[in-house]
Amino acid sequence: MARIEAIRVAQDAEYAASLSDADWHQLSLDPDWQQLVAEQSEMVAGVIATHGHKLPSFSAAASARPTQPEAPRTAFKIAGTDVARMQGIGIVTNLGQYTENMRMPGMLFMRTLRSRYPHAKITSVDISKAQKLPGVKAVLHRGNLPAEYADVFLGAANPTRFLFNEEVFEVGSPIAVVAAESEHVADEALRQIDVQYQVLPAALDFLEAMKATTPKQFTSNLDGTTIAVTPPLVRGDPTNTRADAVVDVIAHKPVEQHVALEVTNGLFWWDNDKLNAVYTSQWAHGVRANLSTALKIPQNKVRVVQPGYVGSGYGYRSGIDLAEVHAAILSKLTARPIKMNYTRYEDFVTRTHRNEFRDEMKLGVNKDGTLAFGQFKVIANVGAQRAGAANGAWFNMQNLYKIPNLKLEAIDVFTNSFKSGPYRCVSHPNGTFALEITMEKAAYAIGMDPIAFRLMNLNEVGNPDTKAPFSNPGIRDCITAVRDQVGWAQKWHAPKANQVRPGVYHGIGMAAHACSHGAGGNPASGQVVINSDGTVQCISANNDIGDGQRTEMMMITAETLGVPLTSVTITPYVDTDLTTDASGTFGSQQTNTGGRGQFEAATDARKQILDWGARKFNDDATKASQPATNTAADMDMVDGKVFNKNAANKTHTLAEVMAFKTSGAIVGRADYVQDPKWQRTAWAAHAAEVEVDTVLGSIKITNYVAAHDLGKAINPFAVQQQIEGGVVMATASATTEELLIDKATGLPLNPNLLDYKPLSIKDAPLANVIIIEKPKEYGVFGAHGIGEPPMALPAPTITNAVYNAVGVWVTDMPLTREKLLAALKAG
Amino acid sequence: MRAFELYDATTVAQAVDLLKQNSSRATKVVGGGSDLIGGILKDWVHGAGLPFPDVIVDLTTIKDLSTISVDGGGATIGATATLTDVIEHKDIASKFPLLTAAALTVASPLIRNFGTLGGNVNQRPRCWYFRGEDFNCYKKGGDFCYAVTGDNRYHAIIGGELCYIVHPSDTSTALLALNASAKIAGVNGDRTVAFDKYFIGPREDVLRENVLGKGEFMTHVTIPNPAGGTKMAWNKLKDRQVYDFALTSVAVAFTMDGNNWKDGRIVLGGVAPVPYRATVIEDALKGKDIKSNIKQAAAQIRTVARPMSLNAYKVDLAAGLIERTVMDALATN
Repeated sequence: MARIEAIRVAQDAEYAASLSDADWHQLSLDPDWQQLVAEQSEMVAGVIATHGHKLPSFSAAASARPTQPEAPRTAFKIAGTDVARMQGIGIVTNLGQYTENMRMPGMLFMRTLRSRYPHAKITSVDISKAQKLPGVKAVLHRGNLPAEYADVFLGAANPTRFLFNEEVFEVGSPIAVVAAESEHVADEALRQIDVQYQVLPAALDFLEAMKATTPKQFTSNLDGTTIAVTPPLVRGDPTNTRADAVVDVIAHKPVEQHVALEVTNGLFWWDNDKLNAVYTSQWAHGVRANLSTALKIPQNKVRVVQPGYVGSGYGYRSGIDLAEVHAAILSKLTARPIKMNYTRYEDFVTRTHRNEFRDEMKLGVNKDGTLAFGQFKVIANVGAQRAGAANGAWFNMQNLYKIPNLKLEAIDVFTNSFKSGPYRCVSHPNGTFALEITMEKAAYAIGMDPIAFRLMNLNEVGNPDTKAPFSNPGIRDCITAVRDQVGWAQKWHAPKANQVRPGVYHGIGMAAHACSHGAGGNPASGQVVINSDGTVQCISANNDIGDGQRTEMMMITAETLGVPLTSVTITPYVDTDLTTDASGTFGSQQTNTGGRGQFEAATDARKQILDWGARKFNDDATKASQPATNTAADMDMVDGKVFNKNAANKTHTLAEVMAFKTSGAIVGRADYVQDPKWQRTAWAAHAAEVEVDTVLGSIKITNYVAAHDLGKAINPFAVQQQIEGGVVMATASATTEELLIDKATGLPLNPNLLDYKPLSIKDAPLANVIIIEKPKEYGVFGAHGIGEPPMALPAPTITNAVYNAVGVWVTDMPLTREKLLAALKAG
Repeated sequence: MRAFELYDATTVAQAVDLLKQNSSRATKVVGGGSDLIGGILKDWVHGAGLPFPDVIVDLTTIKDLSTISVDGGGATIGATATLTDVIEHKDIASKFPLLTAAALTVASPLIRNFGTLGGNVNQRPRCWYFRGEDFNCYKKGGDFCYAVTGDNRYHAIIGGELCYIVHPSDTSTALLALNASAKIAGVNGDRTVAFDKYFIGPREDVLRENVLGKGEFMTHVTIPNPAGGTKMAWNKLKDRQVYDFALTSVAVAFTMDGNNWKDGRIVLGGVAPVPYRATVIEDALKGKDIKSNIKQAAAQIRTVARPMSLNAYKVDLAAGLIERTVMDALATN
C-alpha cells in the first residue's frame, strides 16, 4: 500500500476524495498526519469537516467510548504544588546522558556534502578520491544508493525529497554522505568529492514566486510555485458591510529558527536485523514509524530511544529528516554504529523553520466599538518542500473576537529557501501579531481604550463557524488581570505623550491570544505498575525535551492513585521497545495526551488496588471471625493507605495490599480516545511597558506581564518556567532574530549563534506571570497545555507599546532600530 | 578541521624563529584562539588570500608576554594579557578608564577571560560574506564584494572601497583614541608603529586589516600618559548586551580649556574598515564651547559618511552616539 501523504490530504481536495476507507485508517496512524492534527489543526479542519467520519479518531463510534464521566475535582494533594523536575540535577550538571555525549565502540562519524545552490541539477558526483582517503569507510550518493531505497522520500511528493535528489531545490540539500573513522577525515572526504551542478533559476522571493510569470518547478495548476490556496472561509458579508472606520495593516514576519541548545544528533546501529537509534527527538514512536517506513522494515524491527536529556526541540524534532535515514543505511552498509551530528549550520539551514509570512489585514470598526467586518489574507513562504502554514494563522482571527462578517484567505508559496515546519505555536504567532496590531490600531482609530475595545468584542462562546463550544474560557480574566497588574488605568496615554528623558519615551501596550494548542490528542496511552512492595512506576512514552513533563506524569499518577509523590518513579528516557505511543511532545498536548494516558492508567490501577484492598480487609475480617462485607466501592486510598470509607481508622499500606495479592504486580492501562466535541482553546493576554530611545532606536522593556488561562496548573513551577521562557524566546523574534539569505545567491547569511542574535540573559525580560485557572471539561484535572501559547503575544505586545511610546507603527518583524528610526523619520 | 602543526613558543625570539623556519608555509600566531581556532574549526579559513594555516605558533606560552605595567611614561601591555587582566588592572582603570570600559564591552566574561588584547586588536572582521563559507570575496582572494549589492545593514558607512567590512575591535577603537602604539616583532626585526598608522584599509591591501606582514606579530601595546585633566568616555551600541559586536562605538579622549575643546580624539568603531578617527568633528569642536557646539559638530559625520543601500541608519546612530559620548565624558570628574 502506498504511503498516504498527509500534507496532500490537507491541501489537495481531489487527492483526499480519492482515498479509500483503508487509506483513512492508515492516515489516522501516520505520524505526519498526527502532527498536523496537534500542531496545525487549522490545516486539517477543512478535510476533517468533509471526511472526518472516515477517520477513526474523529468518528462518533470511537468517541462514544464507555467511560464514566469523572466528577470535577476541587481538592488536590499533589497537583497544584511546585515540584522541581526529576532530571534537574542531570540537566544543570550535564551528568544526564545527552545523545551528543554518547559514544560506542567502533562507531563511525557521518558527514554530509550539501548543495550550495538553491536550485540545480546534479550532473555528476565523483567520489573516487574520497573513497581512497584512509579512514573513509563508506560514501553514499544517488549513484550508488542501494536500489531498494531509490523510491524512498520524506513528506509529500511533487516536488519530492528523495534520499538524494537529482534536482535539488534548496541550499543544503544532501548530495553525498561519508562515514569515516573521525569527523576530520569525514570532512576532508567531503572536500575530495567533485560535484558538477547545472544551476537552474531559483525562486527566492515568495511574492514574486506566486506570480504566474514565475517558472514552475513542479507540476501544478496554480500560479508560479504556489503550493496551495486554501478555500476562503467566509462568514456573513465581509465585502459589502459598511463601517465607521476601516483600518489597514500589512504585517510581515521573517524566517525564524528554533536554536535548540543541543544540535540534532543521533547514534544508529543494527543488532542483527533490528535498527537501534538514540536520537534527539520529540517523539520516539513517531521517529520509529518514520524510520520503519523509510527503511521498509516493520515497526518492531526499529527501536528508538529518546534519552530524556534533550537540548530541546521547539517543534523541529517531531519527525526525521534525510540525514537520519542516511545514517541508518550507512550503519547497515558498514556494520558499524554511526554517529550523526548536525553542525550548527546544518541545524539552522537544513531543518525546518517558522516561515516568512505576509498578512494583509482590513478591519471595519464602528464608533461604538463594535466590529463590522474583517478581511484577512495570509501568505506564507513555506520554502523548499510541500508544506502548509498560511491558514494556521487563522485560528484567532476566526475565534478570538465577534466579527460578524469575515473573510479569511490563505496562500502557501514554495521557494528555494528555508523549509517551514512547526516552531513553538507554529503559525499562531503570525496570526496574533497581525490581528492584535490591527485591533490596537482600530481602537486608536475610534478613540477607544484598547483594552475596553477588546473586552467588548470577545467571543466567549465557541467556534463561530463549526459551533464547537469553548470550555470555560478565561480570556476576559486574562485581559483584566494584565490590565490591573500593569496599572493600565494610570499608565496608558496618548501616543508620544510621555517623554521620560530627552529623546526617550514611555509606552504601554497589550495583546490577547486564542490558541488551539494544548488540546490533547491521540494516542493517549500509558501504564502504571504497582510493584509488590507498593512502589509505583510510571511507564510513559511521553518525551521530555526539557519542559519537565515526565515529572508531571509522576504527579498525575500519584494524584490519581492517591499515593505520595515519593513512592512514584519514572525513567527519564523513552524506549519504544518498552512503552506504548503517547504521541509527541508537540502541540502543547502532553498534559492532555501523555498525561491523559497516565490518568486513565492510574485510574485503572486504583480500581484494581481498591478491589484487592477490599479482599484484604475481608481476609482480616474472616480471620477475626467477623463478617467479610467490604467491596471495592467501599474502599478509598489516600497517601498510599487503603481503608474502608466507613472505618477509616483501620488502614493497610499499599505494600500490605500487594503482599496479600501475592500474584505480582498490578498493571493499570489506558485505552482512551479524546472527545472531539470541544473547540479546545488556550487563552492569554500580555502587557508591556517600554522606553523607546528616538535617537539610537533602542527599545527597553521595563515591565512585562503575562496572564494565561490553563485550566489547572498541575505543576505551577513548571508552568511559570514555560511562560517566562516563551516570553524570552518570542521577545527575541520580535526584536532581533531573523534568518537571512543573500538575495543574489540564495546562500544563508547568518546561520550561527552570533549573527542570528538570540537574546542574552541581559536582554531578556522577566515576565511577571499570572496563572488563571478555569477548569476545562476535557482536561486532566481541568488542565489545558501551556508550552506554545506564550510565544504568540510578545511581538504584538511590544509593537503596540512602541506605538504608544512614539506614535509610529513598525509592522515588519523584527522591530530593529533601523526600521524604527526609518519609521520615525517618515513620521 | 584539517590538521595543522601547533608550536608552544617560550620566548618571542623562538616564536620569530618558528615563523622564519616555516616561512614557505601558511603560518599564524594565536593568543586566546577564540576567533582563530573557532574559525578553523568551522573551516571558514578558505581562499587564495586566506590560506588554511599549516603552522600555528602559540604566543600565550611565552613568559612575560602577558605583563601589564604602568609607570610615569604610560602603560605597556603585553599582547597576551587577557581582556580580564586589562579590565582588572587598577592603574589601567584609573589612568585609562576608556580602555577598561571598552574591554568590558567585548563579548562575554568567558571570552574576556580567554581572549587577549593582541587577539582583540588583530582579530579578523565579522562581515557575514567574509565569514560565509561559499562567498569567495575580495578579502579571501576572490574578485567580488557581495555586500555592495547584498545585505549591507552592518557594513561600512565610511572608507569602504572594494571591501566594506567594519573593524570589529573595541579595544582598538579605544587605543587609537588614547594615541597608543604597537610593538611588533618579526622575521625582519622589531618595529614600533603608532595606532595612527597601524590599521590599513582595503585600498592599501584588501587581504589584511593592519600593517603586520608575513612572519610578524604584535608583542605589546604602549599607551602614553594622558595630559592632566583629560576627559574620556566610551559607548558601544549593540543589539545584544552579551556576545555582540559594535553597530557603532565611540571612544573620546580630550582636554579642555575652560568649557572649550582644547585637544583630543574622537574615534568610531563599527563604521569603517579601520577604527575611524573623526577629525572632521574634532576640528569642528576645536576651541569651541563643547556643550553648545557638540550637536552640530557631531552632525559633521554626515559630511564624510557614504552609506550603502541598507545602512544609512548607522550614520544617525554615529551622530547620536558621538554627541552622547562627548557629553558623558564632560560629566566625568
